[in-house]
Amino acid sequence: MDKIVFGKYIPLDTPIHALDPRAKILAMLVVLVAIFLPAGWLGYLFIGIAIGIVIILAKIKFKVILRAFKPMMFMMIFLLVINILSVKEGTVLVDFDIFGHDFTIYADAIFDTLYIIVRLLLMIMITTVLTMTTKPLDLTLGIEYLLTPFKVIHVPAHEIAMMISIALRFIPTIIEETMRIMNAQKSRGVDFEEGKLSEKISAIVSLIVPLFSVSLQRADELANAMEARGYAPDGKRTRYRRLKYAFRDIVLLGGAIAILVMMIILAFVI
Amino acid sequence: MVKFESLSYIYAKDMPYATTAIEDIDLEIAKGKITAIIGKTGSGKSTLIQHLNALLLPTKGKLVIEDHVIEADKKATDLKALRKKVGLVFQFSEYQLFEETILKDVAFGPKNFGLSEEEAIKKAKEALKLVGLDETYYTRSPLDVSGGQKRRAAIAGILAIEPEIIVLDEPTAGLDPRGSKEMIELFYRLNKDLHKTIILVTHDNEIVYNYADEVVLLDKGHIIEKKEAKAFFEDTALLDELDILRPQIIALKEALNKKGASIGDDVHSIDDLAKYWRQHG
Repeated sequence: MDKIVFGKYIPLDTPIHALDPRAKILAMLVVLVAIFLPAGWLGYLFIGIAIGIVIILAKIKFKVILRAFKPMMFMMIFLLVINILSVKEGTVLVDFDIFGHDFTIYADAIFDTLYIIVRLLLMIMITTVLTMTTKPLDLTLGIEYLLTPFKVIHVPAHEIAMMISIALRFIPTIIEETMRIMNAQKSRGVDFEEGKLSEKISAIVSLIVPLFSVSLQRADELANAMEARGYAPDGKRTRYRRLKYAFRDIVLLGGAIAILVMMIILAFVI
Repeated sequence: MVKFESLSYIYAKDMPYATTAIEDIDLEIAKGKITAIIGKTGSGKSTLIQHLNALLLPTKGKLVIEDHVIEADKKATDLKALRKKVGLVFQFSEYQLFEETILKDVAFGPKNFGLSEEEAIKKAKEALKLVGLDETYYTRSPLDVSGGQKRRAAIAGILAIEPEIIVLDEPTAGLDPRGSKEMIELFYRLNKDLHKTIILVTHDNEIVYNYADEVVLLDKGHIIEKKEAKAFFEDTALLDELDILRPQIIALKEALNKKGASIGDDVHSIDDLAKYWRQHG
């Protein structure tokens, strides 16, 4: 259970933590768009430095960010293999025979993969910074504020925010529940680590079925508890916490937009 | 025989929020007896008993269960044999049910421990009989019977494995008074008739007083007291010192003795008390 720390909120007192969640979400979206522009290595270097500065300001250890990369390793290797097998453009790097099969690696395959990997890494970095410096409740509050204008086209802003906060709230509970059921099944002789495929499947089933049944039961109880306290999704309510933009939020958004403009220039003008 | 030797367990070791759940536990649990582990919420009872099934491995010290030795910093081997020997019934054990029918669910354990389909079914039927679920329950889904019946099915799932040592974490929590009494009497019978070692975690001092042989009291991860159960509750000065609720019969005796009666330590139940009254009243 201790290992699941990826993206977990860390309470610190830094200028990044103090930013308005709306500004952080907007800035993230703008930079995400910038990341997906074909701006070349210079552009990525620039974005990388910008995110690096934010990470330093937020007092997040780079070690933690590196740990966030780890689960991606498998996917990256997979991507590399697929690209090597499918991309047949650019200069030929290697050309050799394996058991009579002609096998060629092209330069573009490597470059394409590197591009995707760098983009993914930047994305992970930026989303990790967001979730590590923003309380989950502030995050959902920010999302709700940002979605409110879309109510005109019937986007259920409040309902979406409520669903997200409930989901976030129950992640630790469900992890705990999973551990408990796993332990109970281990006591009944289930081996989650070793065994034949058929045994593994039966082990997973013995975990998933109770987990679903408990979760559904919990959802039912939560719905009743909310109704008992008079919750109605379309009811008008006042807020205890109100969000207010400050000067630093303008700086952040300005910076994000500057990055986007620069990427556009790098990608399409130069 | 079960023996803890200066065993400690620390949750989230090496993390800033590491917490010591149990510390320096030295404890011997006698074979063939009912031992109750009591203590406030968070005193480390659940942590302690999870070691018995090697679900938690000691951070320090060691644990000996018959011929199994589990030591800190050593890889535990042969866990399956250990788990066959020690059956652990979790708190709210009904959440472990998952098969389509109760019979299949109860047979799941024995099958995992290598029994054939027919043997497992046979053991499952025996276990279901022990917990008082008859043939009509065999084909029912474990997910849509009542809470008490789910609990029984879950406990049958452990009994079907035929462990020598049965460890129970709050087996009566959330059951109605009758169900609770039937449940505890089942374990009492398993102990008396089949000589199973029973280790019981409970908040219910009535159960401890009436059924347990030994009491182990935990507080903040340490063992405060280990004593013969009846003697433990007769020592009212100790109970006051440790802030422990008296069983009703002890409270009644105490009140009567204050009014001038002299009821001795050999009176353990209402029946005993009635007998005493007839002789002395």
